[in-house]
Amino acid sequence: MVRMALIGIAVAIPVTLVAVLIPWLPTSASKQMDRIEFVFWFATIICIAIFSLVMAVLLYSVLSFRAPPEDLSDGPSIHGNTTLEIAWTVVPAILVIAIGVLSAIVLSQNGNAGTNPMVVKVTAQQFAWRFEYPASKNLKSGTLVLPLGDPIKFQFKALDVIHSFWIPQMGQKQDLVPGIDTSLVITPTRTGTFSLVCTELCGLGHATMRAVVNVVSKDDFAAWVEKQQSGGGSGASGAALFASAGCSGCHAFTPAGSAAAIGPNLDNVAASAAKAGQSTEEYVKESIVNPNKIVAPGYAPGVMPGNFADTLSAKEIDALVQYVVTGAKK
Amino acid sequence: MSVAEYAAHETGHGGGSAPHRRGLLMRPGFIRAAWCFAVFFLVGLYLVAGIRWLAGWDPIYDWNIIVLVGGLVMGPVGFLLGLGAFDYWLYWISGRPTKPDDHANHGAHTWTDYFKVNTDHKVIGVQYLATTFVFFVLGGLMAMLFRAELAQPGMQFMDTQTYNGLVSMHAALMIFVFIIPAFAGLANFAVPLMLGAPDMAFPRLNALSYWFLPIAGTMFLASFLAPGGAFATGWTSYAPLASEQPIGQIFFNMGVQWAGASSILTALNFLVTIITMRAPGMTFWRMPLLVWANFTTSLLVVIATPFIAGSQFFVMFDRVMHTSFFVPKGGGYVLGYQHIFWFYSHPAVYIMILPGFGIVSEIISVMSRKPIFGYRLMAMSLLGILVLGFSVWAHHMFVAGMADWLRVPMMITTLLIAVPTGVKVFSWLATLWEGRIHLNTPMLFALGFISMFVIGGLSGIYLASVPIDIHASDTYFIVAHIHYVLFGGSVLTIFAGIYYWFPKMTGRMYNERLGKLHFWLTFVSFNLTFFPMHWVGLVGMPRRVADYSDRFANLNLIITISSFALGASVVVFFYNVIVSWARGPIAESNPWRALTLEWQVSSPPPIFNFDEIPQVVGGPYEYGVPGARHAILSGGAAQPQETTV
Repeated sequence: MVRMALIGIAVAIPVTLVAVLIPWLPTSASKQMDRIEFVFWFATIICIAIFSLVMAVLLYSVLSFRAPPEDLSDGPSIHGNTTLEIAWTVVPAILVIAIGVLSAIVLSQNGNAGTNPMVVKVTAQQFAWRFEYPASKNLKSGTLVLPLGDPIKFQFKALDVIHSFWIPQMGQKQDLVPGIDTSLVITPTRTGTFSLVCTELCGLGHATMRAVVNVVSKDDFAAWVEKQQSGGGSGASGAALFASAGCSGCHAFTPAGSAAAIGPNLDNVAASAAKAGQSTEEYVKESIVNPNKIVAPGYAPGVMPGNFADTLSAKEIDALVQYVVTGAKK
Repeated sequence: MSVAEYAAHETGHGGGSAPHRRGLLMRPGFIRAAWCFAVFFLVGLYLVAGIRWLAGWDPIYDWNIIVLVGGLVMGPVGFLLGLGAFDYWLYWISGRPTKPDDHANHGAHTWTDYFKVNTDHKVIGVQYLATTFVFFVLGGLMAMLFRAELAQPGMQFMDTQTYNGLVSMHAALMIFVFIIPAFAGLANFAVPLMLGAPDMAFPRLNALSYWFLPIAGTMFLASFLAPGGAFATGWTSYAPLASEQPIGQIFFNMGVQWAGASSILTALNFLVTIITMRAPGMTFWRMPLLVWANFTTSLLVVIATPFIAGSQFFVMFDRVMHTSFFVPKGGGYVLGYQHIFWFYSHPAVYIMILPGFGIVSEIISVMSRKPIFGYRLMAMSLLGILVLGFSVWAHHMFVAGMADWLRVPMMITTLLIAVPTGVKVFSWLATLWEGRIHLNTPMLFALGFISMFVIGGLSGIYLASVPIDIHASDTYFIVAHIHYVLFGGSVLTIFAGIYYWFPKMTGRMYNERLGKLHFWLTFVSFNLTFFPMHWVGLVGMPRRVADYSDRFANLNLIITISSFALGASVVVFFYNVIVSWARGPIAESNPWRALTLEWQVSSPPPIFNFDEIPQVVGGPYEYGVPGARHAILSGGAAQPQETTV
């Protein structure tokens, strides 16, 4: 028995070290993630205990009860032990129900946005994220900027297929489902730049469907809103639109620093326009508004979203066209 | 009817009258299968074209529909007809004398017999295993291809459509045409023998359900040839993405139908066999746990599999017939797909592990020379998992946007399913306790299974907890979890089962040293491959991505190198199996000194398994009980002895 306990401890120590020394979770940046971490460690303690117990019995048995090949004897004919069987039915049941109760409490806390939270509307489509701030005169942005401190309620819409919203440091995740409105609550607790990633396979550009998330102080947030509304921000800039509308998720374009290869390389767009017998302006504009009319050889139709005429204003499309035309090789 | 009468009755029909030999084109076999496939494909083609012509639809030759009807439905039916899978029934229906009663296609005499429609459950078992391992190798090679792409961030070797196709194909092959049917193969071989039965209840149906399997696997693989590439929506094939994809997608939709039909027919066969063909004295409480496990699994298959069939038909109809089951614009409900899909695919996880529990129970008891601890609770826990298994499906959908109130109940049932699973693990440990443990290859795989499955089970606890799952869902943590359960769990038990029954199947012994080498290479490289995935997932790497952020680069390189080592470890297995089958030492009838019935007959067993009907007189694991017997085979008229239980 002492030997088995020693083996158990010998298993538990390295497992515990692995659990403690490796930073298993990203540094938390939201209240919700703090709570998730708490449940995580609660479950981890139980799991280390169970794993050490199982491995201790297994290794002890193998070391102590191993028979040489020529040993033809049988072991004792133990058929069962009712007390033991009841114990290992009831004790695990209690442990998992404890995890369940704690999880249910945390789930309800993590879903609680409090009264009157700030709302951010999020729209996803292949392969771009767009954000809208109803409280700031429906300000639109391709970068997600969030003020520190208060709960934020995200309201989700998907235009084509299912996408999923996840900022790893903030823990919370939610699918965006066409035809259904979903939502999520996050309370940022740390300023910094994070990455929003799509976690539901959504097609060719899934792996690069990301967006930049900036968490800033409330003052900085107010300043950012003001700057955007006065037209100094991404609203009119072609470069910013190129990122926020999702172009850089699929197209390589040297001025934007993107190297994605899902759609045609836009550095060469002038040559393609010449081949189609159009001016570069005309060709780029038509490709944005009606992408299936002329599909570059080697690429499939129906991949590029066909709704930019609805989601971008005429002014924004012009800015985008100018940006691509001036940036492309002549 | 006794075995002797049965055999006499069977030979009476055929009785030496050799049927007239038909020409090469008309004889059942691959040549007839090839031209029947072509004929049936053309029938399908003109059926579609004819209807479209009559209805005045343009184009008349719509290849989306023609491929579906001609290539994926009619063609395979023609293939089966040509192969001879329907011959007996067609003869019977048309009132002609049926001839397979001479059992000319029972048993295998040369290796070519394994390529024919054969009704012997032992041959079918081997056919299943050989076929599934072909798909295992292909699926594994695809994993190594996309691991090569993932060795570095950015795109190196392939475009994202190819990448998504490889990932989807890997999972589809491994799940639908490797793990599930490999267990069906092992059970096909072992269950009738363990029951003391001469064959399965429906041998011809058994042959048919095997031949569905190469059709399903080939259909998956053929999608690589389709314009636009292979299906690329993951093995989950979520709507509405799946109804917008290139035509390769319908190869998945229909491949699942063929694999599913194969599963259902086999499961029905097992249920009838287990219920009606047990030897005298073989009560349910005297059945080996492998039989219990397959009984439970078959119930799961029969109840659950129609749901995935439905989900795949509906999502395909959305694509080819412009219905809107899952298209919001037409009033469809996107999450409906996921509910129906997971209503099968969660029980499918148990379909992929319960037979492994059965295999491990056999091996642990025999190799520890002790009765299995808590036999009845072991059987009841299987049934507990069966019932609970149907009440947990939505734990795959905690972030999917389903009704919020559904999350906590589904979490509780999911957590509770750990209880019967834990009972099994603790009972195996208690069986080891004070045993006479023989650490041979099957036992190593069984013990390796326990330790890896415990890790997979514990990471399942994290995923059951809704708040943690919300963070970990759709990340590499899921990939780690599923591989600890399906590779560390199911695949290790498949290897254990193959080593354990290898002498019985082939009549020869495998090489023990190579077996142990295979185990240790697999065990170490498996952990190096999949354990780091827990970490990359939790800190932020989503699953199913062809490209990833630079900060995960080092670990992904380690994972890729380890996965190549894992692939190489399988070479040792194949070398051992192939060389041992050809030239290994002749195996004894009972090398493990086991009590269950399959070991009481010669290796390999006689053509109808038992020369006399065994009389079962006690439990299957009475090791260490003085004078205990499971069954009496000598002197057919033995009296039942109800002395030891």
